[in-house]
Order: sequence, then structure tokens, then C-alpha cells
Amino acid sequence: MLKRLLFIRGAELATLILLATLPLTVSNSYVLGLLTLLTIYGILLIGLDVTVGYLGQVNLAHAAFLGLGAYAAGLSVTLFGFGMLSALTVSLFIGFLLGGLLAFPALRLEGPQFALATLSFSALSTTVLNEWESLTNGAQGLSIIRPTLLGYYFNAQGFYWLCLILLMLVWLAMRNLLSSQWGRTFEALRDSPIATDAMGVGTFRHKVAGFAFGSSLGGLAGGLYAFNFQYLQPQSFTYDLMVILLLGVVLGGRKSLWGAFFGASLIVLLPNLLSSKLLFEIISLAGLLLALVAGVHRMMKKSALPFQAIAPIIAMSILVVGGYVVENTENWRKAIFALMLFSVVVGLPDGIMGFAARYLTRLFNIAPPALPASNALSDVLPLQIVDNQPLLVITHLKRYFGGVKAVDDISISIRSGHIHGLIGPNGSGKSTAVNVISGLYAPTSGELVLQGKPLPEGSLFKVARSGVSRTFQNLQLFGELSALDNVMLALKGVYLSPLPMVLLGLAKPQEKRAQADALALLELVGLKDQARVHAKDLTYGSQRLLEIARALASKPKLLILDEPAAGLAHPDVNILIEIIKRVHQFGITIILIEHHMDVVSTLCDVVTVLDGGQVIAEGTTEDVKRDPKVIKAYLGIAEETNDPNLIPSEP
Amino acid sequence: MMNSTIIAQMVISGSLMGLVYALIAYGFQLTYATSKSINFGQGELVMLSAFFSLSLLNFGVPYWLMIPGGLLFGVLLGLVVERACVRLSLEQKGEGWILLTIIFGLFGFSAAENIWGRDDRPFPTPLPADSLQVFGINISPLEISVVVGVLGVMSLIELFKRKTLLGKAFEAVAADRDAAELMGISATHTIMLSFGLSGMVAAMAGILISPITTVGPTMASSLILKAFSVAVVAGLDSGFGVVVVGIFLGALESLTSFYLGSGWREAPGLILLILALAIRPNGVFGKITIRKV
Amino acid sequence: MIKKALITTLLLTVISVPVFAADTIKIAITGPYSGGSAPMGTSMRDGAKLAIAEINAAGGIPVGAKKLKIEVIERDDEGKNERGALVAQELASMSDLSGVIGTVNTGIALSGDKHLQEKGITKIITPAAGSASMTQWSKAGVKDLSIFRFAAHDGIQSAMVVEEAINEKFTKVAIIHDATNYGVSGRDDLLEQIKKQGNKLQVVATEKFNIGDKDMTAQLLSAKSAGAQAVLIWGIGPELAAVSNGMAKLEMKIPLIGGWTLSMSNYIDNAGKNSNGTLTPQTFIEEPITPRVKGFIDGYHKTYNVTRIPSPVSAAQGYDAVLIFAAAVTQAQSGDTRKIKEALEDLKAPVKGVISTWKHPFSKWDPSNEETHEAFRRDDTVMGMVKDGQVVFANDADRILITKKISK
Repeated sequence: MLKRLLFIRGAELATLILLATLPLTVSNSYVLGLLTLLTIYGILLIGLDVTVGYLGQVNLAHAAFLGLGAYAAGLSVTLFGFGMLSALTVSLFIGFLLGGLLAFPALRLEGPQFALATLSFSALSTTVLNEWESLTNGAQGLSIIRPTLLGYYFNAQGFYWLCLILLMLVWLAMRNLLSSQWGRTFEALRDSPIATDAMGVGTFRHKVAGFAFGSSLGGLAGGLYAFNFQYLQPQSFTYDLMVILLLGVVLGGRKSLWGAFFGASLIVLLPNLLSSKLLFEIISLAGLLLALVAGVHRMMKKSALPFQAIAPIIAMSILVVGGYVVENTENWRKAIFALMLFSVVVGLPDGIMGFAARYLTRLFNIAPPALPASNALSDVLPLQIVDNQPLLVITHLKRYFGGVKAVDDISISIRSGHIHGLIGPNGSGKSTAVNVISGLYAPTSGELVLQGKPLPEGSLFKVARSGVSRTFQNLQLFGELSALDNVMLALKGVYLSPLPMVLLGLAKPQEKRAQADALALLELVGLKDQARVHAKDLTYGSQRLLEIARALASKPKLLILDEPAAGLAHPDVNILIEIIKRVHQFGITIILIEHHMDVVSTLCDVVTVLDGGQVIAEGTTEDVKRDPKVIKAYLGIAEETNDPNLIPSEP
Repeated sequence: MMNSTIIAQMVISGSLMGLVYALIAYGFQLTYATSKSINFGQGELVMLSAFFSLSLLNFGVPYWLMIPGGLLFGVLLGLVVERACVRLSLEQKGEGWILLTIIFGLFGFSAAENIWGRDDRPFPTPLPADSLQVFGINISPLEISVVVGVLGVMSLIELFKRKTLLGKAFEAVAADRDAAELMGISATHTIMLSFGLSGMVAAMAGILISPITTVGPTMASSLILKAFSVAVVAGLDSGFGVVVVGIFLGALESLTSFYLGSGWREAPGLILLILALAIRPNGVFGKITIRKV
Repeated sequence: MIKKALITTLLLTVISVPVFAADTIKIAITGPYSGGSAPMGTSMRDGAKLAIAEINAAGGIPVGAKKLKIEVIERDDEGKNERGALVAQELASMSDLSGVIGTVNTGIALSGDKHLQEKGITKIITPAAGSASMTQWSKAGVKDLSIFRFAAHDGIQSAMVVEEAINEKFTKVAIIHDATNYGVSGRDDLLEQIKKQGNKLQVVATEKFNIGDKDMTAQLLSAKSAGAQAVLIWGIGPELAAVSNGMAKLEMKIPLIGGWTLSMSNYIDNAGKNSNGTLTPQTFIEEPITPRVKGFIDGYHKTYNVTRIPSPVSAAQGYDAVLIFAAAVTQAQSGDTRKIKEALEDLKAPVKGVISTWKHPFSKWDPSNEETHEAFRRDDTVMGMVKDGQVVFANDADRILITKKISK
């Protein structure tokens, strides 16, 4: 524990001291200029990392926010005579506001469409800045005077320290933000937006918030940029710059403050590194060595595809050879950057800092921080009231997909406290029905009433907030998050601290509480020892159980289990049955879709059978197994039978 | 009277540029169809093929031979992009190809600057330079060649996709990659083919527009954003939809430039783009996908 | 070079050590060697290096009893303000730099030169022509300036362009310009000149284009339909060619008159025969009118393996700037940048350049008169015309005049 503190915080402190005192020992205005630019880009890239690293989207508008923030700050000084702090606040705020506005249309999109929307915004910003000559002086540029802070004028050194202090504050605030529920949410919605919504954590609002945060940092960096250069032109903030920023984040390492900082250093210092042929050759050789070592290591451990190991080696070799052959490395700057980036993106997906962090933690044997003791399950899951009234009433529900009538007029009444089975052959509409209930689809027609009130339609998020939770037939875990984080994300009623408290780092107690609660749920499903394992690294059986633990974290009244036993081996099925029984003791109503007849007959109080989108039978498991309609649906035979085992126990 | 001629001239000239956007957008569609990925460095592909074709001409290769030569080069580049930048990400079912194709573009740009120099160069054409007058509107033979070339290439490829077996394989891999593989269709080869075709289309675009726009390292950078817009607004699986959207965007830019002043010419297109994406993310002519869990 | 790299390593732990190289005169040559303005930057640099090579071949600059060779420090500002500012900061922190020559983009002069002026480093701006590069100092009211300009600034050029239009008896003109600093300030300069010269021209259309635009139909149609008799243009590079080609397509057979950038090879080559007849003010025409000029042109062609100088004006100005700087070093008898500045402000001996024979080009800086640090006047500039792939003297009379000037 102490080792971890020393190592990580120690490194941060040492770097800060080094950066702060460097101008005192090296009195070179060029070095000072570089350092100032380094801190500005550091803030900029930390902001970019929120969208690119955490939200996992290619954001091409960030350079525009730099420009907009810069102009906003500059104009607030030239037009209104603002002082330093007010001007910087303006730039921060403009970034936040415009980022939020862009996020609304842009964040409904994914992948290339999102990239394009942000790119268009960037082009639009440049056009406005260029054309609105009366305000911005257009292409001829805007000259700005550096404002004072309470009468104190910043010379170059003073301004550098101001930037450094701001970088430090941003660093601390973002660290607090990203290690809280916010950071978890950002990563979750990147891995599975559907599951995030289904667990009652609004995907859209968090995406917008994340994007707005990132943009606000871009705006702040812009304000500092304006007061650093004291002259702005719209063409400084175009796509060219954006590509470099993007690649800086990737090279340094996504989802990492250090990565952003390292990336910023590279961007600022790269031209200088390239201007000396000797230095360039040293770096390219070092890179080749790294690629060889890493590549061979991976090939032997088979921890990566052959292409991932070989391609970086090829790219770095081209770099080394090219360095000898080419007469002026400065001319090939973009190509050199490209080759380095290619190697990192393919071979070191976590970026240089990510790789370094993992390597160093293993080298120094740094253990992750200790977890608290788990709370009692009864403290986590509330006891639901079981009153034999119908909890969920489905009336004449229909869901058509064009010509396909997936659900064609079903009416079911689910009693509170029951385990209600939903079975039927493949394609009978079970999953669709459940998808409609949980809000993935809106019904074509029909009514859904939960505890006497209409259930929200067509919104996973709203349904989840009404007290309905679910698991998925095709796992929708947050693969990159740990088992513990998966459950922690969904916890309801724990994250009550407002945002400012989180930023100031005062929300730690609720994190501990959340961890203890989540551990209780993991203990229920037997995964407490694997709390820190990434979800994607768990065994299939464990993953299925994790989904259940996660679904319970939102403390639902109604839990929908969509084929929880699918693909499970026999002993695991028994474990599953025990878990569901325990959950049932809390009075939670359960809808269970299953093909395992053992599971159904052991657990279910009532079973509804669907076929072709319609209800063909309902009753106890025994009644239903004998029903000729049911038998016909499964096997195609029309006679009634007394054989209770005609319908196989396992599909 | 004068006014309507001017408007017509604007619309026609603008539409012709729009067709070029459409052709490049069409290249995007080809790769999206099989792999749900597009080459963000497509502009550099256009530019490199144009430079290569220019070099062929400078080495004395006759014009009619230069065209297949340039197209072949485009195919080759497309295959390189597929192998180096896309295949890995597809196997990992990730979106790393976005960054990797951007990186390819960066490398290609730098290489072109150094191999062929930073200046823009004229691209010779066997077509006469004097413009024709059609109903009072000036159109040059070059512009007509652009129309013919764009529509010709697109029609050929569409025919190929619909009538041949290979074309059916395209559709199969696009619909469900794993199922197609189970049926004996190599998804990898099909995707390679789509990237090769996309590269060829890019090369064609380069050869068609170079006589008008000149060849230079930055020749395609401004085109690419427009082409993106067209592709995404039309829908990345809309086939001929790109032609309609391309013409519309080109004409709109031209008219905006005339009426609002040339500084604002890009603005309506950009605003429309953001709106279109907000309202119909899958594109105006695109197919709506249903989420499955 | 290695010292420079060590200082700027990632760890930033090396303390800079000032080097006392008393045996060379260090001159930095900065400009855009990549990006859209690169042809001008590289021509300027190559012209300057040609002069430096000639001086060094003769042993160097005579300082006292010795001859000191010139050491060149090249820096690419890429045409980007950020980079330009950093380059300026780097140069300003060098303790033994005698001076700086260069800069093509006015934006870089605006964002970077302040670092040089702060440390009193002498700089000769060439070929950047935007008025703002010097007016920024007169506006700030500085009393002592180490920045000089060696180019025909836009005030001169716009005056000549407007004059030409008036002389040809035009009454309606269109102004087309690019969206950069250069184009926009050029437009403003043109409008101001039209006013100054008696408002004899009516501007019937003002159109803008972006860098990278290839289709100028909209802008040209606007000019055509308004009845423009000439197009006055201010822009850089290949877009100018697009304008000429567009005019040909629309059968607009009216003259194109514009800023000096029309002499660049990427305009002439890409417009082909559509460039014939284009008029543009030039400080240097690539015609071997005297033996000295011929020597320069041939030397450039041979050294850089070209048949035509990409930007003749940039090259010649770079060349002559070095000669003037060297003359200042000789007069100052020192490599100290401050002494060189004083010498520049009062250059006693005439300097025989390829543009002109320079007699006292600069004088002591006076913030109310930028011309004190501007070398070029109206008569140093002639109208050039593009003809068959070259820029030639538009008026034969000018050829005779310039020949006489250089020979004096």
C-alpha cells in the first residue's frame, strides 16, 4: 500500500518539482517557451483523452475548441477588459457550452459518423472565425495583450508557473473524476451502451457530460494559448493540428493522465528531436530494439496476433533504414511520426505510458490498493414486499418488425414474489417480449403496467429506473472493467455526492461503501476472489454469474434473466439454481427465460409457453409439460401423452 | 433572363464537382459494404495515384496506357491499406482502423511531398480546352469527361455487384461475415477485393480531376471532407444515393458562394451535415438497422 | 547542432552552454520550407545561400584584418504561427547569433518577431510583403527597432495595381482574394489605394476563396455578371491558376492584375497559356539584363539544377539581403547583432545587388515613419507580365530604367 503511494504519488510530485524549478536553473527563453507549450498541450490532451480514451470515440473537434477558447479569452480581454482569471474562466466555459451543444447531435452517432460530425464542427468553427471579421479580425489575426491577475503582470516565467499550476489542478480534478463513478461510467458506455442504460445509468447524459468536460479543458488550454502567443489566426486550429493531437494521445497512451502528458511532450519536442540526425538515429534504433523485444516476447507467449508483433518491427526497420538513406529527416517529419504511431497503435495499443505503467508495476511488484470488507447482503438488497398482487401486467402486447410478427398479442400477469418462467421453442418471441418489457424496443401496440403504473416504453434507461433489471442472452458485460467495477457501476443509491465534491476528491467514502456493497453481491455469486479480474478474462460461467450480480446491484423489483444457464456445465447450473433461490428470498420478482427444463421445473412457480409470438399455455411446469399444444410446438407431435419426459430437459 | 443562366451555370459547375465527391464517396461505400470500415486516408490514395499517373506520362507512357496503369496502382494501394491498417482491427472487432488509416494518409502525404515535390503540377489531357456552350452555359470537355467517367465507373461496379457471383459474395460478407465464411466464402479475400476496388475508384477520381485541379500533395485534402459528408449523409450503404447527395452538395456550395459570399460557401453543407446526422444517423438513403441483443 | 539537440531532450536536464565561435558570423535563415508557401521560402533560402557561398568562397566577410566566414542556421517555420514563434524564441536565446534573414508569412512576423525585438536581434524580413509586419512596431510606438524589411510591401504593390487599372481606362473592377492574412490585407490595401487615387474605380464585386479551392466559377460569375473590366487579385499559389483557368472557361477575356505571388512557378505552370498577359508588380525579373544579373540567374540554375527560378523575386531578395547584411558586418567591424543594426541604419558604402545598387537603404527608426526600415520604394518595383511561361518586363521602358539603375 505504501509502496503504491510512494511510487505513483512520488513520481507525480517529483515531476512537478522538476518542472517548476527547471526555469530557475536553465535560463534559456527557448526552453521556457517549450515548457509553457508543454503544459498547455498537457491540459489539451487530458481533455482529448476523455473522449478518445475513456469514451473511445475519435473526436476531431478538439483543435476547434482550442481555437474557440483562445478567441473567447482574447476577446474578453480586448472587448471587456477582463483580467486573467475571468478570461480563463470564459474560455473554460465556452469550451463547456459549445462542447455540450455539439454533443447533442454528435453523440447519437458512433464510429465514423461521430468522427465526421466533429470534423464538420471543426470546419464550421474555422469558417466562422475567419468570416466574422468585425469580431475576430478574420484572417488578419487578433493581437492580444496578456491580462494581469489582481494587478500582477505575468512575465514569461510567471506565466509558465501559472500554466503549471493549472495543469496540476486539472490533473488532480481529472484524476478524481475518472476514478469515481464517472470514470467507470465512461468506460462502461464504451464497452456496452445497451447494458449501461439497462443498469439505470444514462448513457447519453454521461456521454454529453464527458464530451463537455473534455471540451472545457480544450477551451481552457485555448485561453492559455492565446495569452502565450498573444496573436491568434483561425488557420492555426485546423485538421492538421487535430491529427497531431489525436496521435499524441494514442502514442502516449489512452485512458491515462501520464499518457496525455507524455503525448504532449512528444508533440512539442518532436521537431527538435528530428532536427538532429544523431538523436534521431538513437531514438529510431531504440524503437527498433523495443519492437524486436516486445514482438519476440509476444510471439513466444502467443499473447498477440503475429501481425501485431511483426508489423511494428517492419515499421521501425523502415524508420532506421530511412534515417540513414534520407538526407534531410526534417522533410520526412510526417512520415516519421506516422511510422512511430503505426508501431505503437499496432504493437502497443495502450500507448507508451500504458506499456510502461504495466511493466513498471510488475517490475516493482506494486499491488493494487486493498479492498474493504464486504457488507452484509441484507444491507445491500432491500426486502421487497410480496403481496400476491400482480407486479407486471402485460396486455395484448404486439411487436412487429416489418412483416415479421415477433410478438403477436400476448397477455401475461406476473405476480409479485413469483419466479415466472417464459419458455418456448426458438423464435417464439421470448427474447423479443422481454426486450420490449425492458425497454429496448417500444411495443407496436399493447400495454405494460408495473405496480399499477404504466411502464415507460422504448427506453432501457427509464425502465431500469422504474425498478426493472435484466441479464442478456448474449453477454453484455463491460469487458475492460473489472468484475468489481461492473457491479459497482450498477449500484443504486450510493453515488450521492455532487460533481464539485467529486472533483475535489471528497467523494472517497462513498467509493469505499460502493466497493463493500459490490463485494457483497460478488460474494453471493461466488466471485469475490476474482473481484479485480477484468470481465473479459473471466470464464464463461463466471461471466454469466457476474451479469446476475450486476443486475442485482440496481436493487430491482423485477429481475429478468434471459437464458442464464445457456452454455453452462452441469455443476454450474446447480450453483445458478441456488443463487436464484437466494435472490428469490429477498422477494424480488423474477422472469426466467430458459431452455433447461430442470431449471424451470425446480424454480418456477408459473410458466408461460410461447410459440409463434403467442401464448399457447400457462400453468405449473408439470401441467405445461403435458399440454399437447406445447408438445407439438417443441416436437411436432399432436397426441396427448402421460410421459413427463417427452420434452427434453436439455436442448 | 441573365439571372437564370447564371444560376444554371452555378448549379451545373457545382454539380460537376459534386460528382467527384460522389465518386470518392462511392469508394468509401465499397469498403464499408464488406467490412464496415472506411479508409480515412482515401484522399492520399487519390493523390498518390494521380502523381503516379503523372509520372507514367512523364516517362513517355501513352495516355491510353496510363489509365489502366494508374488504376492498377490504385488497386495496389488499396490492398496495402487493407493489409496494414484494417485487417488487424477487423480481427479484433475493434475500430483501430480509423486511426491506422489516418496514419496511412499521413505517411502517404509525406512520401508524396518528398518524392514528387511540394508544388502543384499541371496534368496533361488529350481533350480540347475550349469550352462548349450549351443553352448559354459554359461546359468544358474536361467537365463532361468527369461526368462520363464517374457514372461509367459506378455503373460498372454496380453491375458487377448485382450480376456476378463475386458481387453476391460482397453482399453476403456485408450481411453476416461468419455465416458467409461458413458457406465457404473467404471474408478476408472479399474484403481485400473491396479495398482493391475502392483504391481503383480513388485512382479513377484522381485521373479524372487532375487536369482540372492540378496534381499536388494537398489536392485531395479539401475534397475528402466533402466526400465524407456525401457518403455519410447519403448513407454508407446507399449505392447511387451518393450521386444525388453529391450533386446536391456541389450545387448548394456553388449557390451559397454566389449569394452569401465565397467565405461562407462551406457553411450550409456543414450545417446540413450535422443536422442530417442528427436526424437520420444512417443516412438519408441508408437502411435503418435494428438493435439486437 | 548536437548541442541544440541535447538541450531540448525530453529530460531537459542539460544547461545551455554559450559557445564563443569568434571565427564565424552566424546568420539564421528562416522561412516556410514545407507547406503552401514553400516555393517562396525555399527560393529565398536558396538565393541567400548562393550569396553566402560566394562570400565564403572569397574567404568570408572582411572584419578588421581577418575574413570571417558565414555560418548558416536553417529553420523551417512551416508557415505556422506556433512554429514561427518557437523558432523565434529559439533564435532569440542563442547568444552568438549575428542576425536573422527570412520569413514569408506575415502571421509569423506578427507572432514571432517580438521575441527577436525583445532581445535586440537584428532581422531582415524578406520576402514577406504584408504591411502589418512593420506597422505592428509603429503602432506600438517602439523607439528602437532591430527589425528591417527588404521587400516591396503591399502598399507599393497595391498602388501599382490600381494605377495600372486606371491607366488602362477601366472603370469597373472586381477584387478577388484568398482567405488568408495575405489576401485579406491585400484587399484592404487595394480599397485604400482606390480611395487615395481619386475613387476612379468602382469595385463591382469582392469575392473570396479558400486555400485548396479549385472551382472559382461562383466568384468569377459574380464578377462577370457585374460587368467587371479587370480582375484585381491577391492570393498565393495554385488557386491563382484556378482563377485564370476559370476565366478562360467562362470566356472572360479581361486582364488579371495582382500581387507579386503571380510570378510563382506554380501559378504559371498550372494556368498554362491562360496566364499570358497577367500583370504583377515585381522587384526582380528573371531576365539577364546585365552581366551581374546573368551571373546570379545562371548560378542559381546551376547550383539548384533548375531551368527557371521557382520564385524569382524571393530568390533575388534573399540574395541581395545577404549582401546588405554582409556590408553592415563589414562596416560594424563585428558580428555583434546590435552593432550590425546600427550599421544597417546608416550604410555608408553602396551595395551592388542584383535587384539594384543599394545606397543607404535604411535609416534610423522613426515610429511615425515605417519607411525608415523599409528598403524598397516605388521606383524599385516594375510591372511584370507573364508571357509564355516566364515573367518579363511589361514595359520595355522599365527594362532600360532598371538596367541603368543596376549598372550605376
